[in-house]
Amino acid sequence: MNYPSVFNLTWLIPLPTALAFFAIILFANPKKRLSSNIAVGAVILAWIMSWAVAIVFFLNPELTEHPFDLNAPWLPMGTITFHMGVAVDAVTAGMLFMVGFVLTMIFIYSTGYMSFPGHLDPAKYPDAAKEGLDPRYSRFFAYISLFATGMLGLVVANNLLMLFIFWEIMGLCSYLLIGFWFDKSYPDPKQITPKQAGLKAFLTTRVGDVLFMMGLIFLFIHAGDLNFQAIFGNQEFLHELSTSTVNLPFFGAVTWAGLISMLIFWGAIGKSAQFPLHVWLPDAMEGPTPVSALIHAATMVSAGVYLIVRMSPLFSAAAHGGSGVMMFVAFIGAFTALFAATIAVAQKDIKKVLAYSTISQLGYMFAALGIGAWVAAIIHLLIHAFFKSLLFMASGSVIHGVEHGHHHVHEHGEHGHEGYFDPQDMFNMGGLLKRMPVTGWTFIIGGASLSAFPLITAGFWSKDEILAHAWADGHMAVYWTLAAGAFLTAFYTFRQIFLTFFGSPRTEAAEHAPESVRAMTWPLVALAFFALFGGFVAVPEDFPVIGGLASDFMAKLMEMQGEFYGLHVAPAGFNWTPALISMTLALSGIVVAWLVYGRKPLAAGKPDPLRKPLGPIYTILENKYYFDEFYHLVAVRPTLWLAQFFFLFDRNVIDRIVNWVGALGRWLAAALRRWIDEFIIDAAVNGAGLVTTWTGAVVRLIQTGQAQNYLLILLLSVVVLLLLIPLK
Amino acid sequence: MDLLRSSVLTLIVFLPAVGSVIVALMPKEKEDLIKKFSIWWSVIPLLLTTWLAIDYATNFLRGNQMAYQAKFAWIPSIGVNYHVGADGLSVPLLFLTALLTTLGLYYSARVIRKRVKEFFLLFLLLATGMFGVFVSLDLILFYVFWEIGLVPMYFLIGIWGNPKDRPQYAAIKFFLYTLAGSIFMLLAMIGVYLSTGTFDILDAAAKGVWLNAPTFAMLSFWAFFIAFAIKVPSFPFHTWLPDAHTAAPTAGSVILAGVLLKLGAYGILRVLLSLFPGQFAQFGWIVALLGVIGIVYGAFVSLAQTDLKRLIAYSSVSHMGYIMLGIGAVGVALGMKNVAGAQESAAMAFNGASLQMFMHGIITGALFFLVGVIYERAHTRDLKVFGGLSAVVPVYYATMMFAGFASLGLPGLAGFWAEFFTFRGAFGIVPVLAVIGVIGIVITAAYILYRIIQSLFLGEFDPKRWDHWTTVFGEHADGPTDMALFEKVTLWPLVILMVLLGLWPTPLLAFFNEASVNILSSLHF
Amino acid sequence: MTVPLSWYLIFATALFSLGFFAVLSRRNAVAVLMGVELMLNAVNVNLVAFWRYLTPSDLSGQIFVVFVFTVAAAEAAVGLALMISIYRTRKTINVDEINDLNL
Repeated sequence: MNYPSVFNLTWLIPLPTALAFFAIILFANPKKRLSSNIAVGAVILAWIMSWAVAIVFFLNPELTEHPFDLNAPWLPMGTITFHMGVAVDAVTAGMLFMVGFVLTMIFIYSTGYMSFPGHLDPAKYPDAAKEGLDPRYSRFFAYISLFATGMLGLVVANNLLMLFIFWEIMGLCSYLLIGFWFDKSYPDPKQITPKQAGLKAFLTTRVGDVLFMMGLIFLFIHAGDLNFQAIFGNQEFLHELSTSTVNLPFFGAVTWAGLISMLIFWGAIGKSAQFPLHVWLPDAMEGPTPVSALIHAATMVSAGVYLIVRMSPLFSAAAHGGSGVMMFVAFIGAFTALFAATIAVAQKDIKKVLAYSTISQLGYMFAALGIGAWVAAIIHLLIHAFFKSLLFMASGSVIHGVEHGHHHVHEHGEHGHEGYFDPQDMFNMGGLLKRMPVTGWTFIIGGASLSAFPLITAGFWSKDEILAHAWADGHMAVYWTLAAGAFLTAFYTFRQIFLTFFGSPRTEAAEHAPESVRAMTWPLVALAFFALFGGFVAVPEDFPVIGGLASDFMAKLMEMQGEFYGLHVAPAGFNWTPALISMTLALSGIVVAWLVYGRKPLAAGKPDPLRKPLGPIYTILENKYYFDEFYHLVAVRPTLWLAQFFFLFDRNVIDRIVNWVGALGRWLAAALRRWIDEFIIDAAVNGAGLVTTWTGAVVRLIQTGQAQNYLLILLLSVVVLLLLIPLK
Repeated sequence: MDLLRSSVLTLIVFLPAVGSVIVALMPKEKEDLIKKFSIWWSVIPLLLTTWLAIDYATNFLRGNQMAYQAKFAWIPSIGVNYHVGADGLSVPLLFLTALLTTLGLYYSARVIRKRVKEFFLLFLLLATGMFGVFVSLDLILFYVFWEIGLVPMYFLIGIWGNPKDRPQYAAIKFFLYTLAGSIFMLLAMIGVYLSTGTFDILDAAAKGVWLNAPTFAMLSFWAFFIAFAIKVPSFPFHTWLPDAHTAAPTAGSVILAGVLLKLGAYGILRVLLSLFPGQFAQFGWIVALLGVIGIVYGAFVSLAQTDLKRLIAYSSVSHMGYIMLGIGAVGVALGMKNVAGAQESAAMAFNGASLQMFMHGIITGALFFLVGVIYERAHTRDLKVFGGLSAVVPVYYATMMFAGFASLGLPGLAGFWAEFFTFRGAFGIVPVLAVIGVIGIVITAAYILYRIIQSLFLGEFDPKRWDHWTTVFGEHADGPTDMALFEKVTLWPLVILMVLLGLWPTPLLAFFNEASVNILSSLHF
Repeated sequence: MTVPLSWYLIFATALFSLGFFAVLSRRNAVAVLMGVELMLNAVNVNLVAFWRYLTPSDLSGQIFVVFVFTVAAAEAAVGLALMISIYRTRKTINVDEINDLNL
């Protein structure tokens, strides 16, 4: 098989940004603009290479039958050698297309966004304040460069281990970037700060990652390799894996394929913030907004979906072997889609709404994967990345504008704001469409796409496909859950739009909010293009009228790829009933939002009009079903308590025993000295001396010093001896 | 070349001792000369070990197991030989020892201010003991070097230890604890001699020890094991470690964590595994169990620490647990000869354990240096007084991030490969224990991020919280100053190694893999 | 008529005993010395007697006697000199009072 030579560039794709990372932290660090130029240059290079690879692949659909695979020996493991390498198939190409572009847009956007932040005291950082850039501007670009490496590396990885490595590198960057404003604190001690949010994100995803690693290791043990092509090209092995079982406590006998899939899926749950590990993502909004757009909307969180897409042959083998893991995926996805949507309804932070909507949309993708709508999941993954990063970046633009407005008001001293001003609170906004037209209109486009506004938005085509699949394959529970979610999605998105952009400004800050700089608005426009028209690469052929006009080459390409992997990927086929239902729900969500928020714009200082009709439910939703509190109680506290317990145990039991042994030795020594030494050994020695002294004293008596006495004794002795001789 | 090959190990071992004699002859007022001489002198073994690594990689890595052997009679009446040699397991560890010794001396030259001559003398002597253990192929020689390492360390902790941390107590605890273990070892060595008639490790392994006396074999196994487990230290013999590490001067902690702990693990792989494979197969699960307990327990205890140095000391307990888990898994696998895949898993567990020896050496070495860096400035290690340093000392922050994340096993940095291989091996052999051990990974992330990174670096820097700052040279300062040049020179080689080995562990792994394949196949596995 | 050897021996024994008695019983150091001389002469008598009766052809008995005379003379000289010296320091030559060995 002769591959286009551009594919040999694939392994270079993650490299420029990695070099940019090292260049910035080692050399360019003190020069802020230089750092961002290096980063942007590197990412543009990566973008060009990604698009080159992706487009060449799109032009050669027959490559789906022969995915490109390039290996290098890496790890000697006993008698075998593990190979690392890159691969390109349709999924990779699609991801490269999206990731390369979104990364570049966000990098450019960041050069505008990372101006001097409002929470810092300019007096402390005079240089940075003069430049008007964040004091740690260079650091930010180093981090996102490293992140870009992680994401691009993950996409091109040809084996699960390498995927895992880049997966974790992204986790690291996520941690660093969420906590980027680590010195920020809030007057409300209960409000989570960036540093806590970063920790929470890393540890929560770590739980999933560890399970993922277990799955990876089990797969490695059974397959002897982790290369995707090697594993998925081997149907015999997959079959064997789905029939051999293992006995687990509590779960009984499960197939290895089921167990491995389940463990890997938990990795995806953590990374993609699905229920029950969703808690970190909303708090991750503490990071700078480009980070939210990049990591927590477009790329890293969708890596979980990408992982399951990749591993789908294993999942479907597990399903064939009778494992319920696909059902589980569908359940978690659908449940999360609805669950997160309900929370989004009652949020007042502009980014939190988007965060929950991300969780919810990722839920759609997992639901799609769970019901076997592989192609729909991929298409939705790609399109969602475009419109969700658009939404986040537009919201960042809004926040920026409001913050500037706040500063403007503050500096001119017209109305001294007392206390803390939250520039992300939608209730502090209103009427921004007039002040920030580009931001406003692009946000509305993104919002319409997210709400699946029929026919003209990309989100409609991708989401509709998922719903159509659920309907066609008879997954009614999934269908209705997702449809309800779609209604709520439309509702909360337009609630957001009406609160933010329509009506009249509710604060001085909103009144004075300026439009953002061009570095920020241009990426918005570029993304808005894809948010509107991106869907026309996957319009079902049999869709009335438009089906004939638009293309579905992307869907076709993915279908071919899916077939190559042995997946069941037949298109759902057009059906009026689900299409009408979902269109109606989306539109009615918009209408309800208009009725509540649009018709009579909210006045300043008024509470959310939803609060009253929903009553206690609103409080529950506002508090996110109290999951944070619950986890704090059952996970965080016991862990810290256990740590303290073990520490005390260590000091007071184990170390005590060691010291006791030491003390015992000393006591024994003392005892030996006191009893044995003094009374036996020493006594014997002294006794010998005593006896000698005493004997001497006695014998001394005959030592008169008089020679005559001695002689007398001599005489007596001789006499005695003489007497003795005859006795012999 | 042949002459160099047969004498290089002897040179590496005894050059530091010769150096310490030369230091002893120098007048004690000439501190500068002593420092310079010691550092440059220690570079010679470093160069030799580097040459050794390259030479071994190019000439011996395929098939020839024990290279650079030198053997002559030492105490002929009882058959004790001076027998040294190196294979894929010892060559990287020799390099590690030489590297950390040079860095330790270099760092100490700037921060040791009292009794300079004695310090450098003892430090060089210590190197001889450590090198000796890694090359000994004779049990008595092994024992002698093992004990030689103890004495200088005892003085290093006792004399140059921080007076606030009860250095004498810590030193005597370290000394007696280890010595108590080595007594058992000596007994067991004599047992080996009685059984096989030789003290030579290779010969004894070839003959088999106590093949017909299972009770004696078991007793000898445990006697050896206790000695090694105390040194490692494995749970529950670990409590000397936090005290000794906390009290020791910075370079002492680095050597202690970086190399001395590895002696125990090395002993298990070199002596215990090859002499008592049968017992290892029988009791391997206990070793693995102790390892798993160590991993989880050490991680939890680390999480409860508020003293930075003690925290890292406890994290060593946790990380050495990985080694014990890997070694234990190898042992268990010896009893699974007919199970498919067990051999592969055993090789990986072996690789994991030996990788962890090396990786933990550079990572924890770096971490202890980093503790020294902040301690020299703040004169406290209490994590509660810090915060916000990330904005103030970015170089220190970046270095700590590399070391911290390497320690928590982030892929792309050195620590990951050790963890991955260990778990890959352990999951194939003792899956239940491995599952429990996995908890340690999460807790490790928690204590590194929550305790170290968050307490030291995040939040807003508040100069009021701690006001005893000085520069590293002892001059008064208003706040923390960033790493000085000599600290960068000390730490960055380690950081570079972490990154390089994290991305491309292949060269290092080639050594260990060769050793594991050879040792396991010599056990007829 | 020849005098048998035993007579000489009995005579010498008597002489020896007398001398020994003098040594043991006299307080005067000079008398003790004279006792010693008596004992030596008794020995001489024995030596001469044994020579005459047992080995008349061998002169060693007589030579021994000559030696003993010489030594006795020297001894008497040294002994008397010591006496004088002791007398000078102590004003006595009573052996009961000269017990400096018992210290």
